[in-house]
Amino acid sequence: MKILFRHFANYLFAALLFSTTLTSCKEEDIGNVDDISGLGGEDWVAGPIDKWIQDSLVVPYNISAKYKWDQFEFGNLTKNLVPPDESQVIPLLSTIKKAWTNPYVEEAGKVFYNKYSPKFFILSGSNEYNSEGSVTLGTAEGGRKVILYGVNLFKIKGMAGYDAAKDSSFVKDWFLHTIHHEFGHILHQTVLYPVEYKNISKSYYQGGNWINWSDADARRDGFITAYSSSAFDEDFVEMIAMMLTEGKAGFEKLVNSIPEGTSSHGVTKAQAQAALRQKEAIIVAYYKNTWKIDFYSLQKRVRTSMNKLF
Amino acid sequence: MKNSLLYLLFLTTVFFSCENKDDTVFEESADVRLNAALASYEKQLVEAPYGWNAIIYPGGGGSYGFYFKFDDKNRVTMYSDFSDAAAAKSKESSYRLKAMQTPSLIFDTYSYLHVLADPDEEVNNGVRGEGLKSDFEFSIYSDSVKTDVITLVGRKNQSRLVLTKATQAQATAYTNGDLAKALLFNNIAKYIPYFKRVTLGANTYEITVNQDTRTIKMTWLNGNVPKTFSTSYYMTPGGVAFTSALVNGSQTITGFSNITWNANSTQLGVSGGGASGVVVSAIKPISVDLAAARRWWQAPVESGGDWRSENGFHVNGVDDAFKVKDLKYNNLSYAFYMYAPAFNSRYDAFAPIFYDEDGIYLEYGHAPAKPTFTADGRVVFTEFGAFGDIPVGGAAEKSGALLFDTSGFYLIQTSDETYDMVSAKDAKSWITWE
Repeated sequence: MKILFRHFANYLFAALLFSTTLTSCKEEDIGNVDDISGLGGEDWVAGPIDKWIQDSLVVPYNISAKYKWDQFEFGNLTKNLVPPDESQVIPLLSTIKKAWTNPYVEEAGKVFYNKYSPKFFILSGSNEYNSEGSVTLGTAEGGRKVILYGVNLFKIKGMAGYDAAKDSSFVKDWFLHTIHHEFGHILHQTVLYPVEYKNISKSYYQGGNWINWSDADARRDGFITAYSSSAFDEDFVEMIAMMLTEGKAGFEKLVNSIPEGTSSHGVTKAQAQAALRQKEAIIVAYYKNTWKIDFYSLQKRVRTSMNKLF
Repeated sequence: MKNSLLYLLFLTTVFFSCENKDDTVFEESADVRLNAALASYEKQLVEAPYGWNAIIYPGGGGSYGFYFKFDDKNRVTMYSDFSDAAAAKSKESSYRLKAMQTPSLIFDTYSYLHVLADPDEEVNNGVRGEGLKSDFEFSIYSDSVKTDVITLVGRKNQSRLVLTKATQAQATAYTNGDLAKALLFNNIAKYIPYFKRVTLGANTYEITVNQDTRTIKMTWLNGNVPKTFSTSYYMTPGGVAFTSALVNGSQTITGFSNITWNANSTQLGVSGGGASGVVVSAIKPISVDLAAARRWWQAPVESGGDWRSENGFHVNGVDDAFKVKDLKYNNLSYAFYMYAPAFNSRYDAFAPIFYDEDGIYLEYGHAPAKPTFTADGRVVFTEFGAFGDIPVGGAAEKSGALLFDTSGFYLIQTSDETYDMVSAKDAKSWITWE
């Protein structure tokens, strides 16, 4: 029995060695590699939109925009979405270019912008509808990819059916707010803002409960929007997005709109306004010290470009 | 014995690891064959000289007619029977073929086809977040690709898309706007009375059209025996096409052609089954379903539910004629109009139902006595009492006055669980119960 076992072991070793040797001597080349469909990206006959994206975004800023349907770019495969209408693509992308790219490039330079801007824009024609009744405006992944929804609903001056009262705030709050918000995240994830920022409204952040609040309620606690009150980082980028898309005058108006009295958390009007002012000051200083950007000048450029669009 | 088995095992291991040839069942690799398949499908789509007639059967039901013309630059031009505008004017968008789990045809920018799939319910009157559960990405299965017919399956909602090679005459008809002429058939909804009939040759048919689900029901009498036939339909430049044909003795109807519409006289003309006729209105069904009224009343009694109507009464061509949808009660919003048979042992309930975040409420309404069912198939309601204070001159008071009309109502079963209750006086008012 014992001997048998030794034999067994020897043979096993021999067999292993044998087969290994034979196999490895056969693997000198990996064989023919065929033209694998879709490897290296899909292609189609380029049209005027592809040319516009190439000339206006890819060449100057190394940003690509995917407007043709690809289900797998969207996070949730169970959702029903539709691709954008071709006629919407250039108006949307050029609006983003005018109200986000150009102000940053003019203020901070192309090197800064090309280094930190997200590189992939994915467009969905429809909104993404969530089961509890809300809709998703946009999402960002890892500072690289931004998904914008509702592209077919986008309208600016000069497009058929444009209604200034409805559409200007839609474009501002929807597309431009989203992109400025996401870019704010990229900036603070690269260089964190001063820690004092977190102390300003420290006791009033409320996490996921923000959805039960209105923006007006949040302002009485010293937050610029309800979403601001969800977390430090969101507060920081919501401030950036609101200050840039509302402009200086618009921001002043929001601060001054806080009513007399104290909020349900016991914050007075003066305290809430002071909190917003402190946050504003830290952001302006952060832009100056970290990125050498004059925030107020950037703000003016964003607003000026927006005024031409609506 | 045990040992030799073991040695044999080792031996085979050795042999297999030596055997390193790339012989496959197929002459070419999967990638070569896949690329060839994609190229051949694209070639077939592009090289149809007059494009393709298409019918899509969305996962959510119904059937819709399309026309596609593909070119070799990833562009497709189409017409659709979904709206008058889409039938009259073509729209160009893009498509591509892509290797996914199967070779797939993707309509990759917005087109008339996407209108059905749009999750925005305002676009297609579908369900918010789902639309009509249609598709714009389709799997191609090689056994469903024939020279003149290609059948595709939607990747998301399993819609079926059937492409049939078009003739030169068909292509010309689309560009001439003939599809828009076929859509004149939709005017059948403008007849004021509920019942519509058309006489084609020797036969008179009652036509019931549901434009939301794209179904047509035809009812006729074979001697005294009522016969019914239901089919989905879609539009082509030739008129209305049935997805299955009606066979009535020697007459076979595959659809309606030569659609004409006279707006002044509200008259729709059609041809079908080798004859032509004008659609006329009627005040009662061609064949009364004598048991329908009692069946309608009894169903919720047995299941423990009630009948609900979102829109209330349709009167003289006006949906929600009494504006029940605008009803409010303090802070409560209108939910639906209810008919609850055997609400208790003495009476039924016919009332608007209100809701807030906590629940639904009956605040006021009518209490009909148990209705009478006449021998000729009508149901007649009489007032037993009332719940609460019914606002004078309001929607509920008007709805009640109509309900208690002494002529009563016919009940028309429209599906397993839906009925239309149509005024027996003139067939100009009705309410849909679901």
